[in-house]
Amino acid sequence: MTPLASRRRSTELGLGIIAVILVIGGYVLVGLAENADLPPDLIAILVGLVGLFFLAHLAVRRFAPRADATLLPLIVVLNGIGFIVIARLDRDLARVQSVWAAVGVAAFIGTLVLVRRVRVLERYRYTFLLVGIGFLLLPLLPGIGFSLNGARLWAKLGPITFQPGEAAKVLLVVFFAAYLVEKRELLSSGTLRVGRLRLPDPKHLGPLLLIWGFSLVVLVFETDLGSSLLFFAVFVGMLYVATQRFSYVAVGFGMFALGALLAYQLFNHVQERVANWQDPWPAVGEGNSQLVEALFGFGTGGFAGRGLGLGNPDRIPVVETDFIFAAIGEELGLLGTAAVLIGFLLLVGTGFRIAVQAQRPFSKLFATGLTTIIGMQTFVILGGVTRLIPLTGITLPFVSYGGSSLVANFVIVALLLRISDETAASAEEELEQQIRQRSSVGMGAS
Amino acid sequence: MSEGLLTVLKFCFLALLFLFLVRVVRVVALELRAAPLTPVDAATPAKQRSPKRKGSAQRGVRVVEPAQLAGQTYAVDGEITVGRATGCGIVLSADSYASQIHARVFRRDDDLYVEDLGSTNGTFVNGTRISTPVRVRRGDRVQFGQTIVEPTK
Repeated sequence: MTPLASRRRSTELGLGIIAVILVIGGYVLVGLAENADLPPDLIAILVGLVGLFFLAHLAVRRFAPRADATLLPLIVVLNGIGFIVIARLDRDLARVQSVWAAVGVAAFIGTLVLVRRVRVLERYRYTFLLVGIGFLLLPLLPGIGFSLNGARLWAKLGPITFQPGEAAKVLLVVFFAAYLVEKRELLSSGTLRVGRLRLPDPKHLGPLLLIWGFSLVVLVFETDLGSSLLFFAVFVGMLYVATQRFSYVAVGFGMFALGALLAYQLFNHVQERVANWQDPWPAVGEGNSQLVEALFGFGTGGFAGRGLGLGNPDRIPVVETDFIFAAIGEELGLLGTAAVLIGFLLLVGTGFRIAVQAQRPFSKLFATGLTTIIGMQTFVILGGVTRLIPLTGITLPFVSYGGSSLVANFVIVALLLRISDETAASAEEELEQQIRQRSSVGMGAS
Repeated sequence: MSEGLLTVLKFCFLALLFLFLVRVVRVVALELRAAPLTPVDAATPAKQRSPKRKGSAQRGVRVVEPAQLAGQTYAVDGEITVGRATGCGIVLSADSYASQIHARVFRRDDDLYVEDLGSTNGTFVNGTRISTPVRVRRGDRVQFGQTIVEPTK
């Protein structure tokens, strides 16, 4: 291993060990609070967690040795905190979630093994587009797709039910990145003037309109506000990074406002969400106490929370998925929620750092898109839960209960690590060449 | 279980959580300070790395100055590069007097040599600026920028 690789891997191991101790500590704390005793399955959880972390760490060591050192420990902590809170709410769900975490780590390792070069993905862009759209439309197919909690997001294939949209996000980002690399020259030259804004040729604006229409279709037929917002935001963000033209962001915002207005006029549930955001109290009488209970949770939590296992977060409906942040707020308080936020900031910051440092345009855009997925999703759900923006149901990456989303996020991080490893490898190569050029004598030992 | 003890344990948990985050921030800060070496031409063909020899790692260098790095040892097994670039074997990210690629320390026939790699502020052995590879022994003081190291054997 090169010096850089061994340094980064030992940092990762060190941080990972702290992360594992932290998660086990939290799990013990829940057991102590609930039954005044150690949790009965502590050994199984300990072995499972340590095993999964080391498997993932060894896979990075073997397949992406120079990759960034902080991503893996950060997701261990975020996923671990999520697991602790889920275990505290419902042991059975926690068992399912731990199986999904294992599947996620398997997908993480599989991604590192299969995707040796991100270039390979660029080549199959249209395949990814087709498969992505296919996945997105899967829940609409009769017999396979079905609705749950009012959103038609689910597909059932044999015994497994999953949300195909989670996989579609990653697949479509591959396509967006490859497409924008190809077209960014055309897209960044503005020819059309509208007032002070210079817009690109309408024919190059086509894809933006297409994706806008597409996300509206998703919204209409799957009644999934969160995903359509996510797709649109990720695409506009990538378009901005590719072209460095702010006018796209301005136009994007305009189109978003238009779409939002349209959705508000057309759909009852959107109106309800907005009304609930402006004033959550009337909904309590109609049996929808979610937001109010969440706010009470944050309030009761105060500065340091009531303690793991000591609050009443089970009063909040669907707390284990969309509202898990409120449970963290109640039991770990401002300190705990701030820590989770800092964790996400570091995760997203590292993702963007990988994007900035990447050399090839495709890697850059791909890393941007992947990071934007995690960042936007975090913003949308945390904003909704804390009543900063109207609520849209979407999972909190790594923390919420939910298999499809967890597996997809593990794949996203594996891809970011792959990009980071490639960047470091080419930097090392360049370094070695410069040393060769500057040195007056031959290299190495005798 | 008493409520007081649980509160103490809760604060321990939160403290460990923030300790973890602080450590991550420090790693990120180090990464950002170490100037990344950006390839001029990313399309250069892949080149085979010279295989590193295993074993006999007793030879190396130990940092004398600055104080916060003092005592750190680096085994020199073949060669090790010194500089502010992240890819270097000894990364002097905090030393603003060191160049990106400052120097290298290498072994030849069981002896340690230091060679300057065109650094701006030079490499000094016992106070003398060197221009060719110079053999160093235990007790010699080798200076890159404001960092001083000595051979361990």
